[in-house]
Amino acid sequence: MKKILLLIAIVFSVATHAQVSKVSLQASGLTCSMCSNSIHKALKTLDFVHEVDADIKTYTFEISFKPNTDIDFDLIRKKVENAGFSVVSFVATIAFNNVQVINNHPVTIAGKSFLFVNMKEPSLDGAKRVKILDKGFVSPKEYKRNAFPISSPHTYYASL
Amino acid sequence: MKQPFFIALFFLSFSANAQELFAVTEPASTRPAGSIGFRFDHLVMNEINSSKINYHLIPEIMIGVSKKLTVTGNVFLSNRTDKFSGEGGSVYARYRFLSHDAVQRHFRMAAFGRVSRNNSDIHQEEINMNGHNSGFETGVVATQLLRKVALSSSVSILKAADNGKGNKFIYGSENSKAVNYTFSIGKLMLPKEYTDYRQTNINLMAEFITQVNTGSGKYYMDIAPSVQMIFNSQSRVDIGYRAELSSTLLRTAPTGFFIRLEHTFFNAFK
Repeated sequence: MKKILLLIAIVFSVATHAQVSKVSLQASGLTCSMCSNSIHKALKTLDFVHEVDADIKTYTFEISFKPNTDIDFDLIRKKVENAGFSVVSFVATIAFNNVQVINNHPVTIAGKSFLFVNMKEPSLDGAKRVKILDKGFVSPKEYKRNAFPISSPHTYYASL
Repeated sequence: MKQPFFIALFFLSFSANAQELFAVTEPASTRPAGSIGFRFDHLVMNEINSSKINYHLIPEIMIGVSKKLTVTGNVFLSNRTDKFSGEGGSVYARYRFLSHDAVQRHFRMAAFGRVSRNNSDIHQEEINMNGHNSGFETGVVATQLLRKVALSSSVSILKAADNGKGNKFIYGSENSKAVNYTFSIGKLMLPKEYTDYRQTNINLMAEFITQVNTGSGKYYMDIAPSVQMIFNSQSRVDIGYRAELSSTLLRTAPTGFFIRLEHTFFNAFK
């Protein structure tokens, strides 16, 4: 019985290991509120999105999520692109629970693989803002500067 | 003639301006994928050498097929003949093939084409695929957005065919082709600072439309200033005036007012 409880506890701890609590993205290629509104409305159609809070002045969208849903970063990016614009900054706030991280070694967090670059700390604890560095999540200039080899889908280059 | 034109452009680029949702031309940007827009263009044009007012109504449906492709369809109605009636329609597509986006700016290019069918009588040398001639138009457009100012320019070729109901293109097939050049400039005037999607936006625009007939070498040059209001970040009203600056082409009603009413439904389909 104790073993089973322990097993449940382990499974539970792995599952809640780390959670994406929100995403803050900045869109580019627009200035008018009609354009911003088209992004806002497109993001709201995603079934895992709870709320979208738009700062029209800075073209920034704060996205919160429904509990226990699979949050797909690529779908979020595609919604912005389908509205006719681009993502220049994509920062996910993730709650970590002592996760060991080694530079350029994939670590699985909330069902996604992350390759952290320029990590200074050996482990992550508490809420951290994780910036996604893949193509389409940063400006083309920044992407070029980083020059990562192309990664597989759902594996993201990230930095703090 | 050329010099005052370029001086006017130079001057305008530093003073009067607007955003890129132009009233006469279309920008390189496409409509949001999955959106459906409805537009009603009203043109009230003074017929030369008569007291007659030509009223044209052009309802249009605009579909954001994908992030890069916009397709629209419209019908032409007017009172130019004895009674107000339908005269034809057109299908238009625009494909965005280049996008350089940065915060508050972009440079984009698109290719576009329009195929028109019109049954009205042909009464002017000017070739116009939006309510006068049967035929096609195809070209490219480049648009630069810089914060509150948008600049856009296009080049297109037009080929007029005979209109329907036995209305021939009467100026000869050698004069049935033309090149259109447009230059549009727009500026967001209000709000000074965005806080809410419900704020009314006001844009000022100035557009220049030039046509050169490749057969006869005759041309026209028009200016179209307009003011645009965007309500609730979803509906728009443009009010403008189109005037002939100079022309050697025979035209029947080049000058008049236009009003455009437009509403977009975002995410109307997947």
